[in-house]
Amino acid sequence: MEMALFGNNESGKTDAWRSYERALLPPVRDLHRFDTYVGHGGYEALRAVLTREEWAPGKVIEAAKASGLRGRGGAGFPTGLKWSFMPPVEPGKPRYIACNGDESEPGTFKDRQLMEYNPHLVFEGILIAAWAMQIDATYLYVRGEYADWIRHMERELATLYDKGYAGKRILGTDFSSDIVIHKGAGAYICGEETSLLESVEGKRAYPRIKPPFPAQKGLWGCPTTVNNVETLACAPLIINRGAEWFAGVGAEKHPGPVLYGISGHVERPGVYEYPTGMLITDLIDKVAGGVRGGKKLKAIVPGGASVPVLRADMIEGVTMDAESLRKAGSMMGTAGMLAMDEDTDMVKFLRRVTRFYHHESCGQCTPCREGTGWIENLVTRIDEGQGTLRDLDILLELCDQMEGRTVCALADAAAWPVRNTIQRFREEFEAKCRQSIYAVA
Amino acid sequence: MSDFIKHPVVSLPDRAPEPVFSKEELVFTEAEKEQIEAFRAQYPTPESAVMKTFWLAQEKFGFLPPEVIRLAADTLGIPFSLAYGVATFYTQYYKAQKGKYVLDVCTCFSCQLCGGYDMLRYLEEKLDIREGETTEDGLFTIQGAECLGACGTAPMLQVTNGPYVHNLSREKLDALIDALKAGKKPPFVSVTLPQDEDDLGGNRRSDAEATEVGQTPPAAETFE
Repeated sequence: MEMALFGNNESGKTDAWRSYERALLPPVRDLHRFDTYVGHGGYEALRAVLTREEWAPGKVIEAAKASGLRGRGGAGFPTGLKWSFMPPVEPGKPRYIACNGDESEPGTFKDRQLMEYNPHLVFEGILIAAWAMQIDATYLYVRGEYADWIRHMERELATLYDKGYAGKRILGTDFSSDIVIHKGAGAYICGEETSLLESVEGKRAYPRIKPPFPAQKGLWGCPTTVNNVETLACAPLIINRGAEWFAGVGAEKHPGPVLYGISGHVERPGVYEYPTGMLITDLIDKVAGGVRGGKKLKAIVPGGASVPVLRADMIEGVTMDAESLRKAGSMMGTAGMLAMDEDTDMVKFLRRVTRFYHHESCGQCTPCREGTGWIENLVTRIDEGQGTLRDLDILLELCDQMEGRTVCALADAAAWPVRNTIQRFREEFEAKCRQSIYAVA
Repeated sequence: MSDFIKHPVVSLPDRAPEPVFSKEELVFTEAEKEQIEAFRAQYPTPESAVMKTFWLAQEKFGFLPPEVIRLAADTLGIPFSLAYGVATFYTQYYKAQKGKYVLDVCTCFSCQLCGGYDMLRYLEEKLDIREGETTEDGLFTIQGAECLGACGTAPMLQVTNGPYVHNLSREKLDALIDALKAGKKPPFVSVTLPQDEDDLGGNRRSDAEATEVGQTPPAAETFE
């Protein structure tokens, strides 16, 4: 296999990534158009699963499992396993996919680029997953801010229906499955899977208590699977090139191509497609052109605002996959990586992050609704030079009272950056407290 | 008269707020009704179509005062209270009238670090209003926004839930304000992938009205 050179965890540590050929966003002009997409082998994977015996629904799920694909939305749950949680088909009981394109984790902008440049890969992935789980309809949830991209995708989806690739009797087979784009309206919480379901049902997006999990009771009480758009976009690659190929790209336990969104203080920010398991230092220094203006790197957030920040001295040899990042004390998240240079004020940085979570808490659970507000107040007080060293302990105590004590993970997502930024940059917080007017007290 | 009436324990307004739109204005056209029917057909329950109906109503009326929310609810045949709950949950549904152009300046995360606050403060100064306010001529509202998902082209802003404006600078804001005053809304801008620059020599979409490439972000002066 041509990609075997990425077949182990050491791969990211060599320069082999330089010869990587993009699969999610291959360099093809106007690939976003139906005709171009089909002209480049598009929808062949869909045709294969719908018409070839070897691709019975159960076999597609087996392939997803064998590929090692893990969710690209943040939690990194094994996709094939999630698909296998769907109960057997019951006559008269519809089954749904909710495809998560809410993308509102700060620092994450890769799904938007995928929807802009290769929307049909997303549609094909949805339809393959729909076949694998025998789905009646997919609700593709896209955040309301992406109005322009929704408009473009609606147009492509209409073409898909016209050509018989979606809706009734797809490609002349007996299989029918619908795709509906659902436009959000500005709420970070809708990226949480059960809250997304509430939003599709046309309600205030309060997360649901699990269990029951969406596979048991999802949209309108029916079996539902929630997958990120990039996750589903991997499905056609697995069918076309084989699960073995996919499993051989990037990190062994977290394989596949992945879209890295690199932003912040780098020379060349943007979305890059590379295998998982890339060295963080390579992504910053070689891919994104290094820290801007020749400055020194101070910290990075590897996968969106809620994952723990890493000091520059913690990233040596760390690769972008669940295992390596866990050992380093962080997480893969959405692979939306933020780089901060030596001039960055970590207290101010944390202050803005806490404001975000306070603003976005849905208000359903007390520890989160109240906790995010108190955290913001305390960090603001420290930043304004009115904090005391005791405030730092109160902040950590607040984190204890929030983590794992609410319906969904927003409280955890709000608490982790606080805990980790204070622990990893404690001297900066203490310095602001010592300068404070209350320092003597 | 009972004590309660003479000495109320709570003070209530003696009338409902005046509706902004008259009865004659508060109607959907036949075409709009058809569109709403099409939304309903996409879901098993009418409640689910409420978000799309709100988007349509906001497009038509500019914002969603209670009487518009009631119109949407009645058209779908769902309770007003449910619809009101949904309208008040989501920030992109405007519950009060805003300027013709709402400038949502992202100040979150990457944009904070790359000068989002510089842009926000510059706009405040230029338009002589504070974040959250509307200019007297009703043309502009400025808002600080949470992450809008364009971190690679920070700092950036969005114009009235529509087009994104990337890689902001003061000069770019000047030009944007002039264009908007002249009634010209910015086009859809396609952000070129850095790898496409290398492999394809630029943007891959031939239908892109305008393109941008991620820039080395400026050093933030205000870093709130």
